[in-house]
Amino acid sequence: MTAPRPNSLLCELTYRCNLQCPYCYNPLDLQSYRQELTTAEWKRVLDEAVGMGVVQAGFSGGEPTLRDDLPELIAHASKAGLYTNLITQGTFLDDAKLDALLGAGLDHIQISIQAPTEELADRIAGTHVHAKKEDAIDRVARRDVALTLNCVLHRGNHDQIGEVIAFAERHGITKLELANVQFYGWAYRNRAGLLPTRAQVEHALEVVAEARERLAGKMRIAYVLPDYFGGRPKPCMNGWGQAFLTVTPDGRVLPCPAAAGIKTLTFDRVQDRPLGEIWESSDAFVAYRGTAWMPEPCRSCDRKEIDWGGCRCQAFLLTGDAGKTDPTCELSPEHETVIAALGVESDTPLVPRRMKSLV
Amino acid sequence: MRLHKDTDGTMLLLVPEGILRLNDTAAETLALVDGERSVDAIVDALGARYAVPRAELGRDVEDLIERLTLRGYLTS
Repeated sequence: MTAPRPNSLLCELTYRCNLQCPYCYNPLDLQSYRQELTTAEWKRVLDEAVGMGVVQAGFSGGEPTLRDDLPELIAHASKAGLYTNLITQGTFLDDAKLDALLGAGLDHIQISIQAPTEELADRIAGTHVHAKKEDAIDRVARRDVALTLNCVLHRGNHDQIGEVIAFAERHGITKLELANVQFYGWAYRNRAGLLPTRAQVEHALEVVAEARERLAGKMRIAYVLPDYFGGRPKPCMNGWGQAFLTVTPDGRVLPCPAAAGIKTLTFDRVQDRPLGEIWESSDAFVAYRGTAWMPEPCRSCDRKEIDWGGCRCQAFLLTGDAGKTDPTCELSPEHETVIAALGVESDTPLVPRRMKSLV
Repeated sequence: MRLHKDTDGTMLLLVPEGILRLNDTAAETLALVDGERSVDAIVDALGARYAVPRAELGRDVEDLIERLTLRGYLTS
């Protein structure tokens, strides 16, 4: 099968981070990613991606601003014609850093907050960072760059959704992403304590609907139903190996940022093979590309090229087989295992994300 | 946002984490949006190129600008 053309590359520059959010989707074995790609290697990755037709580059992590070469990499991407997005928690965005990043041609910054108030936000992050983030948001809002505010929602902050919207209004935000936690990596480990209740989700939908109407033309609000709550699965990455690729800090090339969790696949590295070749013909990318791999009920489903069978990583985590229908789909024979998980209302303490290996 | 000429010649509008494929007239219109030109001036410039009634052209341009403004990609 011929590979479609990718359009977006996510560069996970480092998994180092000064925050300890228990909902992080990064892998549990953070230590094994400490050997990071060099500046020259990242530049080659960006050049190869442009050659493949990629037009969007995201710089993420971990915390990407911990890499001193970030402005240099953004300048390189920008000169090559890529639209550049920085996904950051914002605690290092002082004026000097912003000058360097914007001077390099950075197009868009996404800053995340943990909660709308300092006490709760700092408790979730495991450290005192909320005030710094608030400063960074104001600093970025004054500059000529697109800004998105992001807040990851889970049981511990879902009820504050109205306050998150008010926080965004106070800071003049025009694009707000209320991103429900996705259960991979550390978040999967902490799932029992993070899963929102159905009542929380229903309340959130009402609050969001009201705010969207009130703020039409001023603020766009994205709220996507959390995993496990929709009747049909999310069309993860718009299909495996269809449009997106991620490169991890140590050079592994993944069809989705959470794919390293699929232990039955081996992911090739940019140090060993050209990026285009990995995209087109590596075992991991070919495994679930298109629809030929699909079992029933996906195979005969009229949404198979809309949902793409849902999420491969989720299928693996919940059933042990990445080639099954995503169990979040109500048509999946495994759907019951997810429903069972919804009953979890434990007070299990959350395990903070730490570099020290858990596994 | 940023206009980008794709390998097949199509113009793309690159926005935060998104890509919009533009038809020829939308691409031409956006190429004229520079923060200085008024909507009237943009319509005039397009009118000089196309044999389309000015009112119709004006409606199309306003419609495009409104849709992009609502999505937050343009500000007035």
